[in-house]
Amino acid sequence: MGLSLSALAERKTLWPWLLLAPLTIYLALFFLVPLVEVALMSVTEPRPGLANYEKVLTGSLYRKVFLNTFGTALLVTLCCLLVGYPLAYLMSTVSKRAAMGILLLITMSFWTSFLVRTYAWMVLLGNNGPVVWLMQTLGIAEPPPLLFTRFSSTLAMVHILAPYMIMNIYTVMQKIDPSLIRSAESMGAYGKSLFRHIYLPLTAPGIANGSVLVFVICLGFYVTPVLLGSPREQMAAGLIGNQIEQFLAFGLGSAMSIVLLVVTLVILGIYHRRFGLDKLYG
Amino acid sequence: MTIKKTHNALIRPNRRLFLQGTAALAGASALAAPSIGRAQSKELYINSWGGPWLEAATENLFTPFTEATGIKVNTVSPVSFAKLAAQVRTGVYEFDVTTLGGGDIVAANNAGLLEPLEEPYPGGLFQNGVGSHAFATMMAWRTDKGWDETPQSWADFWDVERFPGGRSLQRYPARVLPLALLADGVAPEDLYPLDIDRAFAKLDEIKEHVRVWWTGGAQSTQILRDGEVDMIGIWHGRYFEAEDAGAPVAFTWNQAELDSAYWVVAKETPNMEAAKMFVDFATSAEPLAGFVAQANYGAMNPAADAFIPDSAKPRMPTAPGNVEMTFEQDMLNFGADPQEVAMRFDEWLAS
Amino acid sequence: MNTLMRWIGIAVVIFIAAPLVIVVPMSFSTAASLQFPPPGYSWGYYQQFFSDPSWLRPAWNSIYIATMNTLLTMALVVPATFALVRHKFWGKSFANLMMMMPMAVPHIVMAVGYYSYFGELKLVHSKLGVILAHTCLSVPITFLVLSANLKGFDLTLERAARSLGATPGQVFRHITLPILKPGLAISALFAFIQSFDETVVAIFISGRDAETLPRKMFDSIREEADPVIAVISTLLFAVVFAGLIAPSLIKGLRRMAKGTPSK
Repeated sequence: MGLSLSALAERKTLWPWLLLAPLTIYLALFFLVPLVEVALMSVTEPRPGLANYEKVLTGSLYRKVFLNTFGTALLVTLCCLLVGYPLAYLMSTVSKRAAMGILLLITMSFWTSFLVRTYAWMVLLGNNGPVVWLMQTLGIAEPPPLLFTRFSSTLAMVHILAPYMIMNIYTVMQKIDPSLIRSAESMGAYGKSLFRHIYLPLTAPGIANGSVLVFVICLGFYVTPVLLGSPREQMAAGLIGNQIEQFLAFGLGSAMSIVLLVVTLVILGIYHRRFGLDKLYG
Repeated sequence: MTIKKTHNALIRPNRRLFLQGTAALAGASALAAPSIGRAQSKELYINSWGGPWLEAATENLFTPFTEATGIKVNTVSPVSFAKLAAQVRTGVYEFDVTTLGGGDIVAANNAGLLEPLEEPYPGGLFQNGVGSHAFATMMAWRTDKGWDETPQSWADFWDVERFPGGRSLQRYPARVLPLALLADGVAPEDLYPLDIDRAFAKLDEIKEHVRVWWTGGAQSTQILRDGEVDMIGIWHGRYFEAEDAGAPVAFTWNQAELDSAYWVVAKETPNMEAAKMFVDFATSAEPLAGFVAQANYGAMNPAADAFIPDSAKPRMPTAPGNVEMTFEQDMLNFGADPQEVAMRFDEWLAS
Repeated sequence: MNTLMRWIGIAVVIFIAAPLVIVVPMSFSTAASLQFPPPGYSWGYYQQFFSDPSWLRPAWNSIYIATMNTLLTMALVVPATFALVRHKFWGKSFANLMMMMPMAVPHIVMAVGYYSYFGELKLVHSKLGVILAHTCLSVPITFLVLSANLKGFDLTLERAARSLGATPGQVFRHITLPILKPGLAISALFAFIQSFDETVVAIFISGRDAETLPRKMFDSIREEADPVIAVISTLLFAVVFAGLIAPSLIKGLRRMAKGTPSK
């Protein structure tokens, strides 16, 4: 301790920390304090004690919502992978010009506010929308309800989060040396085995990156499930919002928040140890 | 105060009531004129329900009030009981004045969220809110579903065999639980105090068919108009909006649920005086009459009736011929703590 | 296998493009509802958007808040990033982690915190409150973009300037700043967009005087699916499109300009 204090006194350490000081103080005041407040509220509102956590961790409703949140996040991650991998593959095989076109499209989707995209799905899947119209044209007289279901919210979330996955996989796929593929093919590897022994291992880091990112964002997703989802399949963030906005149940909402936070941090912590958090966003 | 009582008087307007109305109006303007200088702020923030409510309120209440007092009216939405509670708790006010339905006003007053008000017209004060207008939650449906029969009652709403299709109800247990009990065969006069467990058991039956638990009036219009659902429990004003838009829809006044809206002033709001002036103005006879005539509500100040044209009455839930088929909420005799029921309802929804 | 993957890839392209394309015709629709294809086309909802203060006010609020957020974020993050990229010091990995933390916390959790904390500070429903909150959330992405730029900076340029007798201030003004300008601009843009798009915290704390565009859109979608949203969506989409297309257009123009023989 004495050593590090004297080290701190040296200009070498003092100067960087002076540069960092405004931001550090700022984050302490406007990032850390609100978080601590959430933690405090979870054990003090409405009464001091762990009653909120007991309710959140053992109550059947909360367990169901958390399980549903995990299930949805897993499903969305999987779908993003299923959607993202072939597209990244397509991009790495077509001409440079076409790849640029697709890249432009993905970037555009990424930069378009997710409220806009959520609204667009409402139009697409609505009762008077093109999907239902197409189904009717194809002879399905009674198309199943699409909007306000688990299907619609999952679909929209996949659409919103897919760019994260695609960009991560594409980045690693681009680096694969085409001569490597050719030589593998010349040695008789094709189709499945080419994929399993060459593509999959080489793109694994991208898959890992994209999956963690999509999964974590999805865990805390508020807007899209609230607007498009079924009321019977709420996700954690939506329920937290409801506890606060509808019932002013700050204690319960805070306890759920802390659980959500801890889960998110554990996943990111594991990731950080293996790869480093700053790699996540490429 | 009950709507039916005031409305029995309302149905037979007489000279005395008319005079009362004039007096109330004169009172409002007398109150308004000298207090221009006294108002702390020339702006007032009012919580808005949007849609036809806002149009009618702007034309008949806000604009005339601004003309009379010079106080600018701004609106914020959506209407939220929790927001009222939150702003009193934090001391940061988003709005000064709001309207609450019967379900919320008792809870709000018990929680000390409302500024004490004086009775502006005889029988006009309830739980520190001033009675404004009555509205109904009624059953409406799409007519393009090819059903053989026409739905008649909430029991039919629950009957997904005879009337297949998606349902929608308001995400608001104080209004929905009585409907479930009616569907279960409880007579309207035996509803209160509510048998909460029985109501939830009945709701279990319809749960998987309710595709949308609507939270905003405009949303209910949209899902009915666009056919996202086939049968809905909807506010009457919002229903007529869909009908007027040309949607293939129909409704019944039968077993429609009458609720009352009360103007309230947020406790200790910084614009208190302007807020109180506005509440007096908005519930005085002529502005209120214009408001309810345009938005098809039932006026709760009997004095307003003299100014309501007969042509507006068929669409009013409280008009003779309609009011007999309706039933009324009784929040003072609810049968449980509404907040606890709301919590239970939300947990029930998600489970 | 390959052909299958390719076909799926093409289907995915359609899947990604469809929602972006659909809002454009919707914004010109004459229908009051979410009807597609629209029964007729008009500028009606555009007129409505540009004449309705309840939409314009949030739009201006968002621009104001995002601008102030960008200034504040840059003022805090630029010196911090210099410290982190250019120096080795005690506590560096902690500082690194600190910069990244706001990204790791779900926004709903922060929203709950701000709702209560800013309530006590009387900062809810104020623009200042939203700016303060958004600045925290903008730190990680701004830091990432800027540090990537700064890492690629060739330090020998500065050293050369200093050896030629330039003061540290002169070095910064004439060497460091000009070279870093594009990096600074891009990281500022990220900060701006992060704030302009942020929805969850805004829903909870932005209130009547500070209502942001995403909050207004959220309320509007939830409450009524107002077709005006299609107009805003199209406008936002157009901005993104222009922003992405513009650089290549400029490049093309430059190339053309170079190609034309000068007189």
